[in-house]
Amino acid sequence: MFDPAYLLAQVPALLGGLGMTLLLTALSVALSLAIGVAGGAIRSQRVPLLAPLAGAYVEVIRNTPILVQLFFLFYGLPAIGLRMSLFWTGVVCLTLWGGAYQIENFRGGFAAVGQGLREAALALNLRPRVFLRRVAIPIALRVSLPSIVNTSISQLKNSSYLQAIGLAELTFVALDRVATDFRALEMFAALGVLYVGLVFALSAAAARLERIMNRPYAA
Amino acid sequence: MHLFVENWGFISKGLMETFKLAGVSLLCSTIIAVVLGTLSVMRLPWIGRIIRGAVELFRAVPLVVNIFFFYFVAPTLGVDLSPFGSVTLGLSLWGGANGTEIVRGGLASVSSHQWHSARALGMSTFQIFVSIVWPQALKSILPPYAGLLTLLVQGTSLGALVGVGEFLKTSQIIVERTTVMGGGSPAFMVYSVVLLTYFVICSCISQLSRRLERRYRASAWVAKPLGVSLE
Repeated sequence: MFDPAYLLAQVPALLGGLGMTLLLTALSVALSLAIGVAGGAIRSQRVPLLAPLAGAYVEVIRNTPILVQLFFLFYGLPAIGLRMSLFWTGVVCLTLWGGAYQIENFRGGFAAVGQGLREAALALNLRPRVFLRRVAIPIALRVSLPSIVNTSISQLKNSSYLQAIGLAELTFVALDRVATDFRALEMFAALGVLYVGLVFALSAAAARLERIMNRPYAA
Repeated sequence: MHLFVENWGFISKGLMETFKLAGVSLLCSTIIAVVLGTLSVMRLPWIGRIIRGAVELFRAVPLVVNIFFFYFVAPTLGVDLSPFGSVTLGLSLWGGANGTEIVRGGLASVSSHQWHSARALGMSTFQIFVSIVWPQALKSILPPYAGLLTLLVQGTSLGALVGVGEFLKTSQIIVERTTVMGGGSPAFMVYSVVLLTYFVICSCISQLSRRLERRYRASAWVAKPLGVSLE
């Protein structure tokens, strides 16, 4: 029933899909981290006008299915003349989704930067940007690293939603084969192994990073 | 807007299907979560590890893959599963895995003093769970569990991919039908309304979660032993 030879023959196609999945994930994780830092700082500093806006963005993303967000971007926006390529629709979708969660993660991190540090920076006459770069972000990053990694891993898993618009990432490639060759078992075994392997590898790498970052500074 | 008035019967049927999917999956997830969560804090040899592995597995596999797995693989194993059935099964196992984690965390947060005291009073394990540990654990279980419910509601939209006539699918059909009949694509408007609808449903549940959290935090001293600092 389970045919290893068939699976072996599909390895190149699956690797192609895997490459696309990794590219989509890497791009959108990087972009949503930028959104997260900016939005997290805006929300924790309570910047007028921008902070409520960032808050609304977070609420909308967190309370709607990512599949509907994807359909909105892919079918809804072109209907009013906003067109993006398949690839960039995927990147934008994953980025917007991850960005909202990263804002919350960074906000939590910035909340851990104590009032005392703020006052000390003020007393030392540090400019706000220097304070942010040299004090607040390093501390916030350490505190929120676990949740940042969680969100990034979710983005990897959510890239599988993009098969719904026909973007040739890992899940799409595998399901495409299932539809033509009817060999579901082999393809799902491959999908399971690849996704679980990636997720576990990322968690292990993150745990290592966390250990390294939490080492005390050497004098 | 007339599009929604004309198709109201169709849309409401889709919404009902969405609620049905969410309801059945919530029920099944909860049964799984209560049983496995309780078992995993009982320190039974092997069983804890097996549960842990299964939970990790179902949390690591993307929900999309999970649902398509039951949709495509069940027939090859000779099980006749409807699209509704495969979505329910996929969502329930995924929700059950996440629920098990929540329940395990909640039960573990109850101080071990409670266990020792109950034992000293001669209570059985079953009695301790039912009248001592679970009532206290519920405070830390319910808020995240309401969060899980919003994720289950959102997950039901995956039904659209395997052909369950739920809310997203009916909206998709309306868009296609209107486009084919001429008069341009109403996709922007329809999907905006779909986003808004899910938003209203899920925000209500999120609000409930937040309220539960606030209420339980106010009375947190009940669940925690004296001398432990509160947040």
